[in-house]
Amino acid sequence: MHPAFTLAHQEVIDLSKKLIPYLLLVPTFLIIGLFIYYPAVMTFQKSFYRVSPFGNRVFFVGLKNFESLFESPSYQQEAFTTLIFVVVSIFVGLVISLLFSLLLNEKVPGIGIFRTIIFSPYAVSPAIAGMLWSFLLNPVVGYVSYAFLRIFGVQTHWLTSYPAALMAIIVATIWQNLGFNIIFFLSGLQGIPESYYEAARIDGAGAVKRFFNITVPLLSPITFYLAIMDVTFTMFSSFGIIDIMTQGGPGNTTTTFIYRLYRDGFIYFNSGMASAESIVLILIMGIVTFIYFKFVQKAVHYR
Amino acid sequence: MWRKFMVFGMVLVFAVSFLLAAPVTIRFWHAMNGPLGKMVQKLVNEFNQTHPNIVVKADYAGSYSETLSKTIAAVKGGNPPDIVQIYDIGTQMMIDSGVIVPIQKFINEDKSFDVNTLIPQVRGYYTVGGKLYSMPFNSSNPVIYYNKTLFKKAGLNPDNPPTTWKQFEEVARKLTVKKNGKTIQYGFTSGLIGWFFEQYMAVQNALMFNNGNGRIKRATKAVFDSPAGLRIFNFWNNMIQEGIMINGGPGWDNANAIFASQKAAMLLDSTSDVGMMLAEAKQGHWELGVMALPHPANVPYGGVIIGGASLWMINTHNTMKEKAAWEFLKWLEQAKQQVQWSEGTGYFPINKNAITKMMYEGFYAKYPQYLTTVFQLLMSKVDYATRGGVTGVFPKIRATIEQALSKVFDHAMTPAQALKWAQDQADQAMAQYNSLYQ
Repeated sequence: MHPAFTLAHQEVIDLSKKLIPYLLLVPTFLIIGLFIYYPAVMTFQKSFYRVSPFGNRVFFVGLKNFESLFESPSYQQEAFTTLIFVVVSIFVGLVISLLFSLLLNEKVPGIGIFRTIIFSPYAVSPAIAGMLWSFLLNPVVGYVSYAFLRIFGVQTHWLTSYPAALMAIIVATIWQNLGFNIIFFLSGLQGIPESYYEAARIDGAGAVKRFFNITVPLLSPITFYLAIMDVTFTMFSSFGIIDIMTQGGPGNTTTTFIYRLYRDGFIYFNSGMASAESIVLILIMGIVTFIYFKFVQKAVHYR
Repeated sequence: MWRKFMVFGMVLVFAVSFLLAAPVTIRFWHAMNGPLGKMVQKLVNEFNQTHPNIVVKADYAGSYSETLSKTIAAVKGGNPPDIVQIYDIGTQMMIDSGVIVPIQKFINEDKSFDVNTLIPQVRGYYTVGGKLYSMPFNSSNPVIYYNKTLFKKAGLNPDNPPTTWKQFEEVARKLTVKKNGKTIQYGFTSGLIGWFFEQYMAVQNALMFNNGNGRIKRATKAVFDSPAGLRIFNFWNNMIQEGIMINGGPGWDNANAIFASQKAAMLLDSTSDVGMMLAEAKQGHWELGVMALPHPANVPYGGVIIGGASLWMINTHNTMKEKAAWEFLKWLEQAKQQVQWSEGTGYFPINKNAITKMMYEGFYAKYPQYLTTVFQLLMSKVDYATRGGVTGVFPKIRATIEQALSKVFDHAMTPAQALKWAQDQADQAMAQYNSLYQ
């Protein structure tokens, strides 16, 4: 065979080898571009405009949307609510999930049934979860309110008084997300070799010491992953629960950033304002993720 | 050659005549789900059967606000439906949308349609600046449902319900039952719903907004921070603080559940729930009464405002489609269809002849609960206050009033502070919206 021909053939193969990966990526990029980047760019652009509900009147207002957002006392209140809501739900949620996972990791007959029961809330949609909880917390006919009345002798107006309403929202959110956290914790627990515990036991470490010195550090990568996932969940998926249970009330005390955005965008049809709010959310999420990867990741123990 | 030409001509004639005879398809988006949605579909099927030239395709588009946001998206995407059901407070937004045809245009052109068959109170709501913009469809108003069995238990005459606020408070007090210091039955309950505030304003013949409630020209200021508004805030708040009323919280479901389980003796609710409440009463073996909204004594009585939704025609620049859509709207308004709709849903008929028909057929004698709902509306004045406010930011204002009320109930603000705060918020929102249309 002619040497030049072989060379050309080889080049074609090399070229196609280089090209094929890109070709395979095209569908993904098309989908991401169309459904994520394009809307994101549009949102960015819209945040500088004041737009009528049907979009037939559009005025460029520069940074006015952001100005009125940051000047609004209710937005400052919502920032505070969001912070409390996110931090408390994630922290308490992770602690409870870890405790449940420890229990569910025991080798007891019928453990599969318990696992299924505990995991099932995750399969429920936030709207249904909200409905369920609002009936449980109904001040007069709800089971939780009834139990509270019988046990503590108090009539709590869960969804119509502050801070009970915020607590109710947090409880519902934690409950809904429990299954997701537990599944990951369980898989993490099962990945820790039994020999570590045996060695510790021989060295005389008690159950508490074993938990904090073996279980917690070895679960840290999973905890790290879950914390990030939970930030996304509490920041973004929580509006279904809030909308059904409190509609952001009483007053404005259970309105988080995402619920405000939903209301401005889809109930009040103020898309300029809603766009500005989503830009703020994007920035916050960017900062959180950056801090997390930059500082917290170093503290995480990878095996 | 000739033969080929003739064949071609015949095919052409055939194709054209086929095209001309092809039925016009109308897309109709509505916000009625469950049994209400089935009823809409039933009416649509009947229309399609009796009108071979028109095919109406009805689709459920979600809740009222979801239907509106889908319509907005469809308009921007260039593929809107021909008819869409929009809630009462979306009226100004639709007028400003620039994509609708006011049905007044068809009323003026079509002499076969008698606009006077529409109940004046209903027609008044959807008439802005002298033009009827949309075809009224599902209309409701607020009433107080009460448990006659509990009335009897408390030694009250169930056939003499209260008519003034003072009487109402006294009755609620008598209907509150406490055991060991804990309330086991409340006199009255209500969801935290801004619509009820608007209704009690109308009952007192008081305006929500300036410029004739936004009906003479665009409303620029809210005026509900008035003696009438304060009276409502105090009325509810006093009953809550005294413990004879329980706040059902946001939405309708919780308050409905409290009333249906007989833990409260009276409920402020929409007439559209009358069918559901009758079923609950039957199941729980108690008797349901319906009373008109009581009013404060010494304040001239206005009436109630209709709520619900109407049908809007989207401008498709297609005369055939618009004509077909108008046929459908006209047909829906006819007495026969309105009787079906009202008896099947609990919304009241929007056609005068339908009410007469239902009365002659003995429907109201059999279900006096339905009669109160219609009666209350027909006795209402038709004035700026009772026709209801119109503004492009009504969803926000309604939510703001709900927020203000919950702040009062939760002791975060006094009634006067909350009302002023709500009005300031409303003014800001209106100014911002109006600046788009200057």
